[in-house]
Amino acid sequence: MSDHLSGTRALADPAIDLTDLYAFSSPSQAGRLVLVMNVFPNARPGALFSDAASYRFRVRPVSVPMADSGSLFDVGADEFALTCTFSIPVGAEDNGELTQRGTCVLPNGESVSLLVNDERGGEGHGVHCYAGLRLDPFFMDVAKEVETRVRRRLAFVPNGTNSLEGTDVLTVVAELDVARVFGAASGSVFAVAAETVTVGPYPVRLERLGRPEVKNILLSDNGVDAANKVVDLRDLYNEEDPFRLGPSYVDAYRSRLNANLVFFDGLDSKADWTTQPDGTHPLTELLLADFLVVDVAKPYAEDSYFEIERALLEGREHATCGGRSLNDDVIDTLYTLIVNAGHGPRVSDGVDGTVPASREFPYLAPPNPDPPEPVSVPTAAAS
Amino acid sequence: MSSSSAATLADGEREPDLVGGPPTTAGIIAMGNLDARIEGLTSQARRGRLTADGWGELVELTVLRGHVLGRIDETERAASLAEMFVDQAPRDPRSLVAHARLAGLFHQFAAALNDLDAAAALGLDRRSVDEERAAVCQAVGQYEDALALHRQGLSRGQDFRTLGAMARCQAESGEVDEAESWFLAARRAYRGVSPFPLAILEFQCGQMWLAQGGLASARVWLESATRRLPSYVPAHGHLAEADAAEGRVAVAIERLRRLALASDDPDYATRLARLLGKCEASTEARFWRAHAAARYEELMVRHPEAYADHAAEFWLTIGDDPQRALRLARLNLALRATPRAHALVNRAMCRVGQRRQ
Repeated sequence: MSDHLSGTRALADPAIDLTDLYAFSSPSQAGRLVLVMNVFPNARPGALFSDAASYRFRVRPVSVPMADSGSLFDVGADEFALTCTFSIPVGAEDNGELTQRGTCVLPNGESVSLLVNDERGGEGHGVHCYAGLRLDPFFMDVAKEVETRVRRRLAFVPNGTNSLEGTDVLTVVAELDVARVFGAASGSVFAVAAETVTVGPYPVRLERLGRPEVKNILLSDNGVDAANKVVDLRDLYNEEDPFRLGPSYVDAYRSRLNANLVFFDGLDSKADWTTQPDGTHPLTELLLADFLVVDVAKPYAEDSYFEIERALLEGREHATCGGRSLNDDVIDTLYTLIVNAGHGPRVSDGVDGTVPASREFPYLAPPNPDPPEPVSVPTAAAS
Repeated sequence: MSSSSAATLADGEREPDLVGGPPTTAGIIAMGNLDARIEGLTSQARRGRLTADGWGELVELTVLRGHVLGRIDETERAASLAEMFVDQAPRDPRSLVAHARLAGLFHQFAAALNDLDAAAALGLDRRSVDEERAAVCQAVGQYEDALALHRQGLSRGQDFRTLGAMARCQAESGEVDEAESWFLAARRAYRGVSPFPLAILEFQCGQMWLAQGGLASARVWLESATRRLPSYVPAHGHLAEADAAEGRVAVAIERLRRLALASDDPDYATRLARLLGKCEASTEARFWRAHAAARYEELMVRHPEAYADHAAEFWLTIGDDPQRALRLARLNLALRATPRAHALVNRAMCRVGQRRQ
């Protein structure tokens, strides 16, 4: 599932488990960038953010290389970070429910305060922030995707089952005026990543996230990576800087990606990608630069995921804002890319979002108001 | 391992320096989120949408909540979930691992090893098999075997998990100084903000010191655990023991009253009744004694292996049935030949006159 439950550390604490990252141009206001970070898969009413973690968007200006240059994105060293932290909750006087406050620190050190689950969010200094429980906008047929990898053939059906139907997540939304917050000279194309780190003077990275399904699908163990059949790479990958992979494990990630990409390419029984003699797949280095690329000078679109990257591969100029919108069908886009390189029919998991995200702040649909009742499980004592 | 994070007290007992430990999510948030997580997974199970990973997680989290809150019924529920997981995925080694862990928790060690054999035959990786086997070896007092497996794990990588496993094994085999060094190393290696793994580690070290009579050290570790998780029932239970041993009987009684009401583990009612009896609060002591006796009767019907030692302790003391205590202590010793099990049998034999004090 996207980045849900992407490693043992994430399992131990879902409040720091990044599930998805989105970045898109505002649908209604030019020059505004919307960033969305989701955590806590299958969150229920009452779920809260950790007070011991920082939830951080990291944004860097990017240059898109000239057509046919064969280069990857040139990510600048300048960085703009929006860092959200949350308080220990206190009991509300009126209904006894716990209330939690959040603070979003902007690149210039100014901050915006908010109340968790308050739909109005907090606003100031060119930024509008929201944090709280919302409907998980991600959708996919998890069982069929897993079956595809286990049986080594495309198992999707036309009318698939959305495994995340009706589930909620905790979300952090930040909509910002790019020129005011990043400066007029920052350009319009940005690399965006999200991370959760420990609070305190020596932050330790807990999770990082760029593109969807890098950890759970592209780096998954499908028994085809001859270099590593034992180590779960996900927690190691989570510790990496989103903009600079360390030297220790990069070859392990590279090996896994090269092997998996050939594996996925063969799912339709024909090879659409040509690997180099050393086994390097054409997508590997692009995917290892694991961040969303968004152009706020281009208009909002709902199917723009990976469009800037595809334009780069195809040697043309991109046409959309790229990044990733909340309603983007990233599973279809990803599987089509890795299975047939766009040369064949669109590969679909047969699932679309049933409750589309809004085009207005805070964008994500309200949380499921009627979560299913917990199952009654007989105890050993009763049986 | 050498311990570098400990100060020596005037009486020779060394107090660990736990100041500046890893920050973790506030207990009130973590417990709320744990509840929410379990509810979410349970609802997925109800809708038939739970993956094998989800089943494994649901079992694990339910066990965790049962441990923290001192709720045996929650652990029984986890056992039922593990049974359902095996029914759903009998050929998935993860279901057998979950089943083995629950069998181990209820001291059904032969069944646990059988599950692990079956999981290994279904392809469970060697590292996981070794980790699970080590836990069983340790529980039955086969410390050399367990240590060998832990050393193998450490040779593959030193992290919170492998260091903590070694610490627990050293603690149970009585190597307390060595164990504390491993506990401190594990604590330093922690990378996360969930309070649960760290609080449990600190509880285990505190438990070790308490068993050795190191009250000051025990208190430092146990209080760190309860700062992380204020609702951590077993840690409060051991703090009550420390309170009583240090002469703060009223504080211990107040703490145990809260625990005996919140937990369905009769151990707290037993300890409370003993303390009340010593304070000549005989009416309340009789109430808690009867409460504990009834509960042990129930548990001995359902889980005789798991509660033989605690029930023996009860019948040996305020339960006042040493013959029954001796039978239970021998049952416990047959299951696991640990130093504690031997000591319990010896105490029971002395009580019935089969051995001198």
